[in-house]
Amino acid sequence: MANDTNNIDSFVNRRYEHGFITDIEMDSLPPGLDEDIIRALSARKKEPEFMLEWRLKAYRHWLTLKEPEWAHVHYPKIDYQAISYYAAPKSDADKPKSLDEVDPKLLETYEKLGIPLHERARLAGVAVDAVFDSVSVTTTFKDKLAEAGVIFCPFSEAVAKHPELIKKYLGTVVPQRDNFFAALNSAVFSEGSFVYIPKGVRCPMELSTYFRINAANTGQFERTLIIADEGSYVSYLEGCTAPMRDENQLHAAVVELVALRDAEIKYSTVQNWYPGDENGKGGIYNFVTKRGDCRGANSKISWTQVETGSAITWKYPSCVLRGENSVGEFYSVAVANNMQQADTGTKMIHIGRNTRSTIVSKGISAGKAQNAYRGLVKIMPQAHNARNHTQCDSLLVGKECGAHTFPYMEVKNPSAKIEHEATTSKISADQLFYCRQRGLSEEDAVNMIVNGFCKEVFKELPMEFAVEAQALLNVSLEGAVG
Amino acid sequence: MSTEFSAETELRSAVERLPANSLKPLRQSALTGFLKTGFPGVKQEDWRYTNLQAAVTLSQRWLSADRGSIKKLPDSAASVLQQLQEQIEADWIVVASGQAFLDGSTISDADISVRLLSTDPQAAEQINTADPLSSFNAALMTDGLVIRIASNSVIKRPVAILLFDDSDTAAALSNARIVIDAGVNSSCQLLEIHRSHGAAEQFSNTVSQVNLQAGSTVALTRIQDREAHHLHTGRVAARIGADASFNITSIDIGGALIRNDVAIDLAEAGADVTMNGLYLASDNQHIDNHTRVDHRVGPSTSSEEYRGLLNGNARCVFNGKAVVHIGADGSDAQQSNHNLLMSDKAEIDTKPELEIYADEVKCSHGATVGQLDPVSLFYLRSRGLDKDQATRILTSAFATKIIEESPVAAAHDYLQQRSKACLERIIAGDSK
Amino acid sequence: MLKIRNLHASIKGTEILKGLSLEVNAGEVHAIMGPNGSGKSTLAQVIAGHVDYEVTSGSVTYQGKDLLDLAPEMRAREGIFLGFQYPVEIPGVNNTYLLKAALNAKRKHLGLPEVDAYEFMKLIREKMKLMEMDPSFLKRGVNEGFSGGEKKRNEILQMALLEPTLAVLDETDSGLDIDALKVVANGVNTLRSPERGIILVTHYQRLLDYIEPDHVHVLSGGRIIRSGDKSLAHDLEERGYDWLSEAVSA
Repeated sequence: MANDTNNIDSFVNRRYEHGFITDIEMDSLPPGLDEDIIRALSARKKEPEFMLEWRLKAYRHWLTLKEPEWAHVHYPKIDYQAISYYAAPKSDADKPKSLDEVDPKLLETYEKLGIPLHERARLAGVAVDAVFDSVSVTTTFKDKLAEAGVIFCPFSEAVAKHPELIKKYLGTVVPQRDNFFAALNSAVFSEGSFVYIPKGVRCPMELSTYFRINAANTGQFERTLIIADEGSYVSYLEGCTAPMRDENQLHAAVVELVALRDAEIKYSTVQNWYPGDENGKGGIYNFVTKRGDCRGANSKISWTQVETGSAITWKYPSCVLRGENSVGEFYSVAVANNMQQADTGTKMIHIGRNTRSTIVSKGISAGKAQNAYRGLVKIMPQAHNARNHTQCDSLLVGKECGAHTFPYMEVKNPSAKIEHEATTSKISADQLFYCRQRGLSEEDAVNMIVNGFCKEVFKELPMEFAVEAQALLNVSLEGAVG
Repeated sequence: MSTEFSAETELRSAVERLPANSLKPLRQSALTGFLKTGFPGVKQEDWRYTNLQAAVTLSQRWLSADRGSIKKLPDSAASVLQQLQEQIEADWIVVASGQAFLDGSTISDADISVRLLSTDPQAAEQINTADPLSSFNAALMTDGLVIRIASNSVIKRPVAILLFDDSDTAAALSNARIVIDAGVNSSCQLLEIHRSHGAAEQFSNTVSQVNLQAGSTVALTRIQDREAHHLHTGRVAARIGADASFNITSIDIGGALIRNDVAIDLAEAGADVTMNGLYLASDNQHIDNHTRVDHRVGPSTSSEEYRGLLNGNARCVFNGKAVVHIGADGSDAQQSNHNLLMSDKAEIDTKPELEIYADEVKCSHGATVGQLDPVSLFYLRSRGLDKDQATRILTSAFATKIIEESPVAAAHDYLQQRSKACLERIIAGDSK
Repeated sequence: MLKIRNLHASIKGTEILKGLSLEVNAGEVHAIMGPNGSGKSTLAQVIAGHVDYEVTSGSVTYQGKDLLDLAPEMRAREGIFLGFQYPVEIPGVNNTYLLKAALNAKRKHLGLPEVDAYEFMKLIREKMKLMEMDPSFLKRGVNEGFSGGEKKRNEILQMALLEPTLAVLDETDSGLDIDALKVVANGVNTLRSPERGIILVTHYQRLLDYIEPDHVHVLSGGRIIRSGDKSLAHDLEERGYDWLSEAVSA
């Protein structure tokens, strides 16, 4: 019976299946960061003066900041002067009008990722704004969206075509000075997505973006801004994969969501960036600032994330519940295997009356990984009748991993009702044996138990995403239990 | 990062002036340690909600004024002791202004040894200076109190330590140190009662270290009932040996700025701790309870429940941390914190943390913040009680659970009575 | 079908089975009885392949194969079913999901086509009727929040669905009231067939009033100390186990 003992290391780890590098000539700026680089970047993107000023202001503030050290993660110092802050495919000058015009190599890349872009877009009714490194290459279903008045375009296009919206909303949820990585992003962000849903419009399809990090040494600094005007609704999907590289790659994205009166934004993420190999070599540093502002009464922002990738994840999608009766939700599955480190969670800031928030966090640690939940529920004095319920569970798979919970609750109003529950457990030998006695293989049993553990979160994901997420989870945990 | 401390010279000379007993080298090394860190400040994670500035300023002034140590037990202490003796059946010993007064001790059990730290080199060697406040305490301690419980002895009658500070004539600073050693398979009950007196300001910084040898059982109820304008920081650090069991309840009724740290080291297999707490706060009270339990080996168990009731401008902090170290398989850590907020101005900051590095573990924690249950309130009122009566019944039910489960039964009646009086005051504040 | 020869097995260094031999043929129902701690449950766990039990010597062959060489799931797919004494709870995992996955794992192994959701539901409803179980059962997590009796019924339901060749039921009667016992016994009796072997592990004779065994064995000190027909169970009922143990140690 020696072959079926719970030997953690007995399974061979599955290699990252999206690991390959696309060979496209890059038009990059030299590595390094100073005001000239920012000017050059802004000039290349043909930005108006106000954008350049905005970037420089952020950069000057960034210089005064220190990299944060409080998260439960460890990594070698990042040399910000060794990073190249701009890379764009050569064909920048004449952007493709349709998929046919797209560099076939890029299309091939998507094929390898299992994302047949055109097919997927047509069959699933999803518009895809694919970001290849820094410049958006293709956008589909524009007509249908335009008909509804929805603006869904690359960030740089929005800066050119809708400067009034950019001026009005950019940096109002995540200010330039918010934190070290947000300030850096504000200074150097090169591309991203912009969404505007007009008053009373229910976005006719789920909006989706696939991100890829490609060029070696190119930090990826995405900027996403989504505005849901009064009474509108949008569901936005974000999914990521990355090629296999040995050098650590920094990713410091900023996502800002604004929900006005009676509006609802549902933001779903499946994050599967390269986590590094079994020894922790390589992998993405994912230092992201995501925040939603429920600015109007009865608005709702819901974050759902499935985080399986990246060497280090530092990410707290948050909700500022400003409007009366506004609702914030956070549903998260975070998997850390091998040498991965994850410090993730949310902040729910209750300001308006009768605001409600729900937090469901499921953390899975395997291998030698460290997985931390860090959350803040803050009830301001004026937030009468605020409600929060937090459920925060950790599942340990293996003996050398860590699972940590750091929930902060700051309550300044007596009418608040706050409940926090957390548990830590492992997959028990009895559960595994029971499933195996019924004929399931050990891996299937683990997958089944893990999926059961994550069920509450998966049901929040759009259907096709949920299936993908479940498969991803199984792949991520392969080799964790033997 | 730390709070500004600008009385280094004064501190050095105050340490110099203390009695030239065997503790001198210990004080010197603690002083060096303290000067490296200074007082903790709000930039430090463990102190983000509690600002010690007032205590630091007071300490600086006290050190500059060169007060020296007291020679005899103050009358105020004697009268408090007498009251307490009438209410709680126990053997008593008094620590006033940080100095133990062995003469007045009523402890007669031959299995209990009571002595001064300066006469117990073995205990002096184990003096804990792991954190800045413990170092500050060790640097300035006049002498410490050492209580040893003989191996295999069962002490029936509780040993009560009255920690008393008087600032009747001038501002006061004190640094009491208590060392408890429970011998193999021994069992005892302890009370630590904090009281104070005096119109002037005072800051007491106490450290109790408890060593539970294999198979021992120690029950400790800590009652912090200081005057409403006095500052206090107190640490209880316990090391729990194989199959030993520690049961501590920490009750906060008084004080202006209170910071309690309970640090538990489950050092050997079979170690077990129960730590409960109750804080009743109103007006401008600030009560911060930090607990940390380290499961270093398995199997080991910890269970914790803290409850708080806040009114007025009170601000309370609860931070419970359970750390399960690598290899501590078979650890079971349960923790909960429940808070009732009764006023618009009160604030609670709670953070129940888990850090787990082992997989054969069972850990859970929970925290709630809310008001008195409106359904229960309505039910009682529909039975003819007025709002105040109903509130009184429900708040006292909330507090009673911790009191009834506190491990020294001899103090239950006293605690019920004190908490009742305290709740009356808190509820009265509510209707103001 | 099942041949156990001089089996020695231990857990954490303590030997529990000390030379047990047993042969079960197709179509037979064997009852294994014995006092607490005699090794009854160990026998059941060893047949199913629990990792905590170490077989130190002896052999177990099943349909001519060396059973001890097979992983637990392979034994299950080859038709061995263990009804657990204490079925474990698996929170969040839907009962239906487990049952379907288990059934299809077995069918795949046997080279049969997997059943689809529709067929499966038809099948499971039929079996549930037999076990007098409420359909809401299917929506709940595996054994999650089940009462002791519900867990045991769930075990028999799984058995009915998986149609094992050899079923080992470990104390399936414990914790059941008389009505539940009848339902469970009825479930087992329905499965009796010339192709199937059943081992009932039980402490009490009560279950045997409803499921009549062909052979009764008394296990004590890790060995079978007496075998007989169903009348042996009645003797045990009247006289207890002591007279047998004494007879052996004498």
